[in-house]
Amino acid sequence: MQPPAVSKSASPMSTGSGSGLADVIDTILDKGLVIDAYVSVSLIGIEILTINARVVVASVDTYLRFAEAANRLDLTQTQGQGLPEMVEDLTHGAITDKSRGVTQGVLEAAGDKLREMVGEPQDRVRGQRRRREGR
Amino acid sequence: MTAETSETVRQSTGSYIYGILPEDVEVSSDATGVGDPPARVTLVRHGEIAALVSDVGLDRPLGTPGDLVAHERLLDATAAEVPVLPIRFGAVMTNADAVVAELLEPFHDEFRSALEDLEGRAQYVVKGRYVEQVILREVLAEDPEAGRLSQTIRGRPEDATRDERIRLGELINQAIGDKREADTQTMVEELAGVCELVVIRDPSHERDAVHAAVLIEVDRQDELEQVVAEFADEWSGRVEFSLRGPMAAYDFVMNQGEVED
Repeated sequence: MQPPAVSKSASPMSTGSGSGLADVIDTILDKGLVIDAYVSVSLIGIEILTINARVVVASVDTYLRFAEAANRLDLTQTQGQGLPEMVEDLTHGAITDKSRGVTQGVLEAAGDKLREMVGEPQDRVRGQRRRREGR
Repeated sequence: MTAETSETVRQSTGSYIYGILPEDVEVSSDATGVGDPPARVTLVRHGEIAALVSDVGLDRPLGTPGDLVAHERLLDATAAEVPVLPIRFGAVMTNADAVVAELLEPFHDEFRSALEDLEGRAQYVVKGRYVEQVILREVLAEDPEAGRLSQTIRGRPEDATRDERIRLGELINQAIGDKREADTQTMVEELAGVCELVVIRDPSHERDAVHAAVLIEVDRQDELEQVVAEFADEWSGRVEFSLRGPMAAYDFVMNQGEVED
């Protein structure tokens, strides 16, 4: 069996997908030097779009999603299963696969949210004003 | 660059700052940064250090996917060549003169010494994510209560089994958390053998197995790849890995007095 490839994106240029963007958000919004700690006078307050992507909080939604994923599991590998049940599982799989793309994770969802914000100007009012004014 | 500003006049552009780097570098003329259209990136030099900046219009909010990617792409391309202290996204100063007078000049020695520490090193991010079906099977097989609950809900409507589903999901989430902790610990020990510094990041996804940033000499990148490849092999089919970098040392630069959380 082929082991999963170790993917290395030397050029972040290729990170156009949702998860790639999520990786970027994860890194540059939360880490790096905070310039406010150095500079106080000449900082300019500029509106930064609100991006709240990083927090993974286990909620009832998470639990229900895990449970549904467990429900979808094809257990034929671990126990005998009647044919009707298997057919039912396949049907379930077909239906739920669709929703999986939407709810797969916080990060992918966050990527979508970002695209929405860009795509729909009215969403920009959600932007949070961070004022940093000279003294 | 002589952006002229007056305290009384509302200015329309500022100097967006990406990072601090040694003075003896050049920025290629096609380097672009945040903004739409992307602004040209230049250097503001002072003594032995310089700031990587671009003009940014103040009339629109920052933070579009294009802005975010531009910020990181520029810093990471830089980090592959020279040491750089990355500045968190969104820092804007009034103009280039202010960048010198208030940032480069007062903190010159501190920045220079940090850049010397980074010489020849870069950050990489290792991320491993559990394959859902495989990890679920593992949990259901190992946890008797979870195994029973999965039988209880099997094929029954969600509304009728809501309590059981919540309990099952909670058990799964907890079990994955325990596995994450153990697997992260195992891997970090190996990573520490080749890397100078390792920081465990918060999980970015509920199925994260490992999420860590490492600082390593760029020349030893192949050793890092080797460690990740060994784990990818050992946990084949169970955990999918990605390794990103070289990138700027976002996780390893800290403000004075800041404590790693």
